[in-house]
Amino acid sequence: MDLFLVNNLIWMLPLICVFAFLIIALFSQYIPTQGAIVSIGSIGIAFLIFIFVLIDFVNGGLLPIHSSFTWIDLGEWQISWGLLIDRISIVMIGLITFVAFLVQIYSVGYMKGDSRFGWYFAVHSLFAAAMLLLVLSDNLLLLYFAWELVGLGSYLLIGFWYEKKSAAEAAKKAFVTTRIGDVGLLIGIIILFKASGTFDISSIIHVAQEGGISNDVIFWSSLLIFLGAMGKSAQFPLHVWLPDAMEGPTPVSALIHAATMVAAGIYLVGRMFPLFELGPGILTIISIVGIVTFILAGAIALVMTDIKRVLAYSTISHLGLMMLSLGSFGAPAAFFHLVIHGFSKALLFLGAGSVMHGMHDQTEVELMGGLRKKMPITSITFLIGTLSLAGIVPLSGFFSKDEILISIWEYNPWFFPVTLFGVFLSSLYMIRLYCLIFLSSARSDYSEKAHESPRIMTYPLIILSVLAVFSGLLAFPSPITEWQGFAAFIDDHHKFHMVPWITAVSIVVAFSGAFLGWVIYGARKIEITAISKPFKFIYQLVSRKFLFDEIYSWIATKIVFTFARWLTVFDRVIVNDTGIDGVGNSTKKSADRLKYFQSGYLYNYSLVMVIGLFLMAIIWWVIE
Amino acid sequence: MTIIHFQFLSAILFSLGLYGVLARRSAVLILMSIELMLNAVNINLIGFVAFRGFGQEIQTFGQVLIIFVITIAAAELALAIAIILRIYRNKNSVNVDEMNILKG
Repeated sequence: MDLFLVNNLIWMLPLICVFAFLIIALFSQYIPTQGAIVSIGSIGIAFLIFIFVLIDFVNGGLLPIHSSFTWIDLGEWQISWGLLIDRISIVMIGLITFVAFLVQIYSVGYMKGDSRFGWYFAVHSLFAAAMLLLVLSDNLLLLYFAWELVGLGSYLLIGFWYEKKSAAEAAKKAFVTTRIGDVGLLIGIIILFKASGTFDISSIIHVAQEGGISNDVIFWSSLLIFLGAMGKSAQFPLHVWLPDAMEGPTPVSALIHAATMVAAGIYLVGRMFPLFELGPGILTIISIVGIVTFILAGAIALVMTDIKRVLAYSTISHLGLMMLSLGSFGAPAAFFHLVIHGFSKALLFLGAGSVMHGMHDQTEVELMGGLRKKMPITSITFLIGTLSLAGIVPLSGFFSKDEILISIWEYNPWFFPVTLFGVFLSSLYMIRLYCLIFLSSARSDYSEKAHESPRIMTYPLIILSVLAVFSGLLAFPSPITEWQGFAAFIDDHHKFHMVPWITAVSIVVAFSGAFLGWVIYGARKIEITAISKPFKFIYQLVSRKFLFDEIYSWIATKIVFTFARWLTVFDRVIVNDTGIDGVGNSTKKSADRLKYFQSGYLYNYSLVMVIGLFLMAIIWWVIE
Repeated sequence: MTIIHFQFLSAILFSLGLYGVLARRSAVLILMSIELMLNAVNINLIGFVAFRGFGQEIQTFGQVLIIFVITIAAAELALAIAIILRIYRNKNSVNVDEMNILKG
């Protein structure tokens, strides 16, 4: 295809979803299926465009495709509005369009009969557009714009059932918590703009690499941009919003809070990586944040009893692993894990949605059990997702985890044992979740009467589980084509390689975690209380999520609100009473006095004119 | 006859007009008083033109100017009368004291 066509096709990616949003939002009731067909059609077309662009991109020798126009021309500075397709963004586009497509199809079954069915799909389209714009944008300003739009989509979908108080609160919490990061991101962008005079990402990186930006500026701006990534990707200590975000419909959790939006932070760090590399100590900070998140969230996931919350903490944990990988110069491994985790976690969330669908929206695992026979397809696909995420050997999660472990061993060897512990936790809690839901016998009426979900919901599960099994093969170089393995695709310098002893250790750790999980929760050979009793304090601490929510609400009510109350006084007295009301009142009072000059009688006005004339004449005389 | 006579007549007419504008309540009478003032100015002007010893050319120019002023005044008056007529249709009165709806 010629370049002109490709350049226009790129613009179609976000635009088609924006149009879908507008059409559904405005004309939902006139379209059959309340607009779901428009939304699914648009994201399907976006996926086809992705395939065309991918073919063109590969044929073009993996050179970036860039299309932009000047948006604001300030003479010296020009702010452009441009889209860029390079190796990272093409991976992201593929993941977003594909998962969004499957999730939207699944949603038709899941959201059936909802009173705002059309609006649900409208917001889905808006989110898809924002997410595509985010990964396509070539400059930080456009990226920030899309970043906020993505946040809006997330807010609207978490609070989709806003009649429920908890959902409305969760939406607010997610918005406010990510906002802390977003402010950092904005300040970081402004600092970079001031230092380099441009918003264009590649130019900024170029200027920085030439030494045009001082180390201090790079350090602070990188840190602030990373703060934004921490908010969106739910990294410690800004992770508290993601578990609560599970109040939204389950397909939303699958798409936004597992596969795509939370990956935006990883994407941002990967995109700005050449800059972060230059900042002293930035990568160490990223690694530390990543590993703390990986372990803490993994530990919490082990004790949660709500199916969606286990998956949410598991998501946080794996995002931490990706951050850790990025901090260890393992960007290709991180993106590989991002894609595979996206598939596996979307599969698990959709499976959880299918379970909830059969269980009348019960999410408590204590009420489940024995669903293996009643929901065979969900059970098998869920098992595949579980094993993939646990990193059991032939499934895709194993390969990505292996690559991450290699890069950690090479660049951050002292984090390696801790990471292995995290891997162990990860396979333990995933197996625990599977066992509690699907094995043994039914523990409540709901699970007695559970039934398999309709085909429109199970088919996406099957497609995703096929990917969860086989997408790991992307790691290997292909003998017949020019494919050099995923790592080499993202970065030419990274070649596919394996370290046999690390692979062996990873297999042993993952299997032992899975085996322990099966012994405790599947076969019930060891009583759970026997383990939790000696570590009562730790158990309490973990099951209360390390008291993050309590600490934050204490900070919010005691410190922030007290400070705010002081500021209110300033606002009321000085800004409002003196400033705004003061101006109004003084105008009104002077008008009250002055209005008597305007009598409305013609002879008054003409008399004043005559008197004025005489006065002027007298003054003239005196001066002469 | 000297210029002083013209100035005297002009001043009297102007004062009468001014008095009329200030003292009358009827819009028509005010309008007539304004015309009186305008014509007082005209008389003043023609007096100066005629008695200050200007050449023929300037004198002719002055007289033409006066005719122009009278013509424009007539047009202006027609407009003012039309406005007053509209007001009369609306309010059934031409008393300027009643025209106070713009008052603050």
